[in-house]
Amino acid sequence: MGGPAASAPCYAPARMATTASARTFRAARRPGPLELIESGFREIWTHRRLARYLVRADLKKHGSDTLLGNVWWILDPLLQMAVYVVLVSVIFRSGKPDYPLFVFAAILPWKWFSSAVNDGIVSVTSRERIIKQVKFPKIVLPVAAAVGGIVNFLFGLIPLFALQLLFYSDRISPFLVLIPVIAAVQFVFSLATAIAVSAINVFFRDIANVARHGLRLWFYLSPALYSFDQVQGKAGPIGDFLFSLNPWTPLFESYRAVIYNETMPAWGGLAVLLVASLVFLTIATLFFKRVEPAFAKVL
Amino acid sequence: MSGPVNGAPTPDYAIDVERLGVRYNLRLTRQTTVRNSFKNLLKRHEGPTHFWALRDVSFKVVPGESLAIIGPNGAGKSTLLQVLAGIIQPNEGVVDVVGHVSSLLTLGAGFDADLTGRDNIRLAGAFLGIPHRDMEERLPGIVDFADIGEFIDASIKTYSSGMRARLGFAIATAVDPDVLIIDEVLSTGDAVFRAKSKQRIIELTKAAKGIVLVTHDMAWVTEFCNRAMLLDQGHVILEGPPADVVALHQERSEQARIDREAELARRMAAVEGTQPTPAA
Repeated sequence: MGGPAASAPCYAPARMATTASARTFRAARRPGPLELIESGFREIWTHRRLARYLVRADLKKHGSDTLLGNVWWILDPLLQMAVYVVLVSVIFRSGKPDYPLFVFAAILPWKWFSSAVNDGIVSVTSRERIIKQVKFPKIVLPVAAAVGGIVNFLFGLIPLFALQLLFYSDRISPFLVLIPVIAAVQFVFSLATAIAVSAINVFFRDIANVARHGLRLWFYLSPALYSFDQVQGKAGPIGDFLFSLNPWTPLFESYRAVIYNETMPAWGGLAVLLVASLVFLTIATLFFKRVEPAFAKVL
Repeated sequence: MSGPVNGAPTPDYAIDVERLGVRYNLRLTRQTTVRNSFKNLLKRHEGPTHFWALRDVSFKVVPGESLAIIGPNGAGKSTLLQVLAGIIQPNEGVVDVVGHVSSLLTLGAGFDADLTGRDNIRLAGAFLGIPHRDMEERLPGIVDFADIGEFIDASIKTYSSGMRARLGFAIATAVDPDVLIIDEVLSTGDAVFRAKSKQRIIELTKAAKGIVLVTHDMAWVTEFCNRAMLLDQGHVILEGPPADVVALHQERSEQARIDREAELARRMAAVEGTQPTPAA
């Protein structure tokens, strides 16, 4: 081995690659977990402009190659809503009063989450070429994927408010201003998920296939098309337990509370989810930073 | 250990590589799936689990020096450049690079086909970690050097491969690095642009404190480099004056060619020799 490098590690804090003086790459020294987590969060912050560019590039792409362009961001959730309304209200003859609004309150955040997961999965592997050519913090890639969905979400608010104003004006309540708070909790959870799956996909390319079906199943098993109290107690103690573990139970219930029920969100559930998501984010960042050095070799 | 510590006086070298080793894990390669990893788990003890792309490589580049790395395909040249650029971490040894490194590896690696040339310049700058303000200052110069006219505001997918290469070259060389790492970028575009890019490389070479380049252009090595290093199968074969190293490299590749031909002839003979047997 190249000698025990026990002396003080000269880890130049790579603030900006251009100003990094003396860079030493040493073998046989694995940075500790705290150091990894800290450098992960620092890199996200110092390279926020790169994340912004990546998000913008992604948005330009989505808008430019279709006839209706960005109009699809508004139409898409509406069409999806129409599908579920036909399925549940017309075919199954069940569902709640004002069911379109009821479902829309779930479709809107879910589209953001599923795009964060799906884009997150390929965020690292699709940048294979530049990863092998340039040194940059790879963690920015899944971050950009998670952030990119926010724009979709914001566009989705347009048809939401249109629905509310045109058809369900009696369901408008001041609680609507709490949507950003719920969205913030969702963002932390989505970000952690995107970071984790992006790194896993480098080593196991099957995750995209798993995610495609897994996400759909997850949506149906969460109180999206139905409310939590409709199923509570019917699935047995294990079912109830699983529902309480599902992060999307408090999220869907909270979105629906402010959009549909004119009540406060599920504060308790949201608070627990926020804490759990922050822990998850820390673990995901640690995991990502731990395997990041292998990316250029494995890809 | 006498590694430079931050705040210490500038060391007398631009690059210092000591007993560098880079190992690739053969079990972790692209296109792994869960199924494959189970298979690997079962036959864990079969075959080598890893191979050394570089082993026991040591060299120094002093300021003002230009080092050429030559060798046959698969010698570990590109891996060495990736280590110097900080893209791959060493498994053994120490690599010290003083100052800001710029790597001109494959040109236009980070291009996003759906963005305009101008947006791609900004994106590349962000990938390279160049501060936004610097990048905006350099933008006109890059556009000017790439010299692709109106296309700079068209999306990259409309570019010809020559235009892509020109833009890539313009971006990659728009920096003023202390240490420059170049991988086979000397032959880009048409003759006019090639002359222009050669000029640019020579300018950068003069300004930079140290240069490491990989090339198959032996004329370039003897003309512009002070030193050369011959790599083969991850080991340093010879390091010294360019003329000597190039001579050895050419001798060895000639020998390798003769060996290959002899081997081929031997196999052909063997095949011809065994062919009548099944018929009999």
